[in-house]
Amino acid sequence: MGLESNLPGGGVSARSGGLFGSGSPTFLTSKIDFLVNWARRNSLWPMPFGTACCAIEMMAAFASDFDLSRFGMERMSFSPRQADVLICAGRVPYKLAPVLRRIWDQMPQPKWCVSMGACASSGGVFDVYSMVQGIDTIVPVDVYVPGCPPRPEGLIYGLMMIQEKIREESLTKHYELRTEDPSIVARPRASDEEVAALSGPFGNSTRQNKLAGAVETEATDRPRDRRP
Amino acid sequence: MTDKPTSGLGAVDEGPVSSDANSPQGAGAPANPDDHPSVAALMERFGEAVLHHEVTSGDQHVVHIDPARNREILGWLRDDPEQRFNHLADVTGVDFGGGQPLQVVYQIWSIPYRRGLRVKCLLELDSLEIDSVAPLWNGANWLEREVYDLFGVTFRGHPDLRRILMPHDYAEGHPLRKDFPLRGRFSRAEQTRRALNQDVERFYIPEERAIGREPQDVTLPTGSESDEGSASDG
Repeated sequence: MGLESNLPGGGVSARSGGLFGSGSPTFLTSKIDFLVNWARRNSLWPMPFGTACCAIEMMAAFASDFDLSRFGMERMSFSPRQADVLICAGRVPYKLAPVLRRIWDQMPQPKWCVSMGACASSGGVFDVYSMVQGIDTIVPVDVYVPGCPPRPEGLIYGLMMIQEKIREESLTKHYELRTEDPSIVARPRASDEEVAALSGPFGNSTRQNKLAGAVETEATDRPRDRRP
Repeated sequence: MTDKPTSGLGAVDEGPVSSDANSPQGAGAPANPDDHPSVAALMERFGEAVLHHEVTSGDQHVVHIDPARNREILGWLRDDPEQRFNHLADVTGVDFGGGQPLQVVYQIWSIPYRRGLRVKCLLELDSLEIDSVAPLWNGANWLEREVYDLFGVTFRGHPDLRRILMPHDYAEGHPLRKDFPLRGRFSRAEQTRRALNQDVERFYIPEERAIGREPQDVTLPTGSESDEGSASDG
C-alpha cells in the first residue's frame, strides 16, 4: 500500500481501476466503448427539422442518389422520442425557437445536433428582427455545415463528422460531456454575452446601438407602437 | 396611360428612386376616369368621397377613397350589378415613411366583368383606424390581421383582430413600419429569451386548444345496430 501511493501518476486510482474503473478507462470499458460507439454511429436516426431550402438538399441526401442509408441513417425519425441526431436545416424565426427547443428536449440522450446551412448556423442574410441568429443560442450544436444551401455531400460529410465524434466518445466520460440540467427548459442555452457576440459585428439591435451613439438612424421611438 | 418612371431598361440608368419620392398622391399619371368604367361609376355615385384617381404600370387604375366610408364604397363595388367586384385579391398596407399617411390597399377583382381595381385609403399616423371589410369578403379576415400585425392598423368590426405572423406577446411594435429598426427594438439576448418563454399553446385559438382537452363523447355502434352478418360467429 505504501508502495502504490508512492507511484507517480496518482497512486491508487491509476492502478485499482478493475473492470469498470473509477472514472478512468480500463480494458473492459474501452472494449465496451468500441462496441457501443460502433453500434451508435452506424445506426443514427436523424430527426429532420427542415424549414427552408436546406431541407430540399437534406431530402436529396436521403434519397437514392446520395443515399444516407449507406451510413445507417435510412430511418428518418419524425418523432423526436426515437431520434439521435437533430438536423436543423433552414432558417429559424423566433416564433419557431420554442418549438425547436422543445423537440431537442424531447430527444433522449445520447443526442447530437447538426446545424445545416448558413441560416441555421448564423442567421445568414436574415439579420433582422424576426430571425434567430444561429440555433446554437437555443440548442447545443455539434457540427455546423456551411453553405447556402449545402450540397448533399456537405450534409453527408457533416454527419460523418458526427460519426467521428461518436467514435471518440467513452462511456466513462460520456455523461459529463453531455450533462444537461433538465430544469433548464425554455431558456437560452447561451448567455447574454454569447448571444451578443454571436450576432455579429453589429452586435445588437439598432435601438441599442442608437442609444450608445454607435449608429444614427432616422427611426423614431413611438411608445404606442409597443401595444402588444 | 404611361408611367412616370421609364419602363424597361431605361429605369436601370436612372438608378433607384427613394421611397419618399413616391408621394402617396401623384405617383402615377393622372388619368381619365372614363378609361375605367368602374371608376367613372364610382365618381358619379360617390363624388367627393373619391379623392384621387391615377394610373400606374400602364393600366392599373388606382382610386383613393375616404377612409371613413371604405366599407360603404367597397360594399357598393361588390354588390352593384354593374360592378360585382366579388373577389378580394389582397389587403395590404404601405408605409412610405417620413410622416406620410399610411396606406391600406385593397386589390379587388370583378370576376364577371374581368376588371381589376386598386382602392387605397390613406390613414394619418395618429389615427390608424378603419372599418373592417371582413363582413364583405371573408377572405379579408386574415389579411386584415396581417396588416394589423405588421402595420398597427386597427380594423373596426373585425371578428378576431389578433396578431397572425408575429408572436402573440410581441412587444416591439409593428415591424413593417418605416420607423421600425431592422433588428428590432430589443437586444438579441432579450429577443431570444422572450422567444423561448413563449407559450406555444397560444399559437392556437381557444377552440383549437379545447380539442383533446375536453373528454370526447364517442358512442360506438352497439351490436344490435350494426350489420348482423358481419358481427357474428367468431
